[in-house]
Amino acid sequence: MTVVLAARDLEKRYALQGQEVAALRGVTLEVRQGEYVAMVGPSGSGKSTLLTLLGGLDSPTAGEVTVLGTPLSTLGDRQLTRLRLERIGFVFQRFHLLSVLSARENVELPMAERGVGSAERRARADELLAYVGLAGRAHHRATQLSGGEMQRVAIARALANRPAIILADEPTGELDMATGKEILALFRRLHQDGTTLVVVTHDDQLAAEAGRVVRMLDGQITA
Amino acid sequence: MNWLWAVRDVLRHPVRSLLALVGIAVASALLLDMVLLSGGIERSFEKLLLSRGYQVRVSPKGTLPFDTEASFGDATTTLARIRATSGVVQAGPILGASLFARLPAGLTPLVAYGIDPTAQGIYVVEEGGDLAPNDSSHVLLGAPAAKRLHAGLGDTITLVGRLDPQIAAPAQSRLLVVRGIVHFLYDARDQPSIALSWSVVQSIQGHRATDRASVMLVRVADGADTGTVVRQLRHDFPALGINTVGDLVAKFRERLAYFRQLSLILGSIALVVTVLLVSTLLAITVNERLGEIATLRAIGVSRMAIVRQVVVQGMALVLPGGVLGIALGLITARWLDAILTSFPGLPAAISFFVAEPRQLAVAAVTLLLTGLGAGLLPAWQAANAPIAATLRSDAT
Repeated sequence: MTVVLAARDLEKRYALQGQEVAALRGVTLEVRQGEYVAMVGPSGSGKSTLLTLLGGLDSPTAGEVTVLGTPLSTLGDRQLTRLRLERIGFVFQRFHLLSVLSARENVELPMAERGVGSAERRARADELLAYVGLAGRAHHRATQLSGGEMQRVAIARALANRPAIILADEPTGELDMATGKEILALFRRLHQDGTTLVVVTHDDQLAAEAGRVVRMLDGQITA
Repeated sequence: MNWLWAVRDVLRHPVRSLLALVGIAVASALLLDMVLLSGGIERSFEKLLLSRGYQVRVSPKGTLPFDTEASFGDATTTLARIRATSGVVQAGPILGASLFARLPAGLTPLVAYGIDPTAQGIYVVEEGGDLAPNDSSHVLLGAPAAKRLHAGLGDTITLVGRLDPQIAAPAQSRLLVVRGIVHFLYDARDQPSIALSWSVVQSIQGHRATDRASVMLVRVADGADTGTVVRQLRHDFPALGINTVGDLVAKFRERLAYFRQLSLILGSIALVVTVLLVSTLLAITVNERLGEIATLRAIGVSRMAIVRQVVVQGMALVLPGGVLGIALGLITARWLDAILTSFPGLPAAISFFVAEPRQLAVAAVTLLLTGLGAGLLPAWQAANAPIAATLRSDAT
């Protein structure tokens, strides 16, 4: 299988109240196409930091991230933004939907940014909302949706531009157990449909669904 | 989607947005009024001076027409020579004087203009008829004078000249029949003015007014060059002041320089207030939405798109605020105009606030640029927020 995501000797250090904190210490990781990887570990172990570096949301202090064969360090902001738009889908713990837009408009956003025509956008958004089980909620504003529904809209948004990889940071972290299970099922279906998934989680059930579990401690991969 | 999003964002905080709209409307109204004030009175004055088609004024040197009680002598000869000047098609004398009307209750002061009815440019007849050439038995009344004298068409009034300081009695008096009610173009509001034949005013005023004029109006022929005519008149009458409408407007502008300064200062304040208002509001909105903005950047929305969105959001406030402001500005301009034109000595026909399409366009474009400029700093802040750190802090 093709390697879609690779991290080599990643280091990330922050200055925190005058002291340097090493969030990542020499992390090396490869994710192959269609793989479902769960990253687990205690708070502060560096898993979310690793996810932001893998998604090009931040740059490492040392080391290199390669997405679909392209080293991110070679890309300028515009190219990196384009890569995120077209090849990577993000799902966040707190959903981060635009509250003034409807569910459909939220899903349309990445497509609009990519220049997809309105009719195609709308059709694709409706198709994705149906996929995540929200066909009847297209016109509802984000504020009118439950936590689980908001997360499903966020997943539909992440899928909008048919990305090669989905990166999810604690996607069930804000949800109750029952709603979390719905999201779990959705991720399972995404994986079955061939989507490459990298999920940061504290949720043992979610981790158990993954094909590979990466364990982190003190900024390093331990297993 | 930008506008839809921006408008919904504005509506998300209705009270805050309403207050901002009112603030922008008030600042815009002030800005518009200052733009109108900055050049309105000059254009209005120029239009007024040209309204009767006389392009040149001849008056005592160093004075403006009717600015003082100054007059010049040998007026008949001067008038004849002016009329004979190449390029001049018409010239008429005006002698300003203070006369009195005798009423049962006593003497009422009036402003009198001695004119040649065939070549006058200071009134238009509104009711009745005009004076005949060399008419020595009729008078024309302005509406305020008619009201003050309780006189109408066909009534007879008694006019008297200067009071003799020796005997505290009028030197000359004359019975005249009201032939017309006229509108005096250059009069201040409620100024009690009358018009009579030039010779009649001279006669009532006695020997001090013999063959004198305060000003002469000169009309240049179509196709003739006003500048050439003026140069010739200045050459022929070096002791007199020869002013074109442009010269008079320039002198008027010098006198009203404080209005320009006032409009510049207040206009600048209005701009600064608008910028601060929009910037502050957008900065607050951007700070509230940093998490959303970081998410947008994370999912691949470009910096430019973020800047565009924040600026559009600013415009969603500035545009309706500006439209309200222009309406408010036009209403307040009318109100302020009524106050300013009631100042003594100013022609009531002058307008301080002239709303022409160009001025409205200047105000609208300035406002638009202000709104754009005000949105840029918060937009830059939004577009350059660190994605990962913002998402992290938003999650905690």
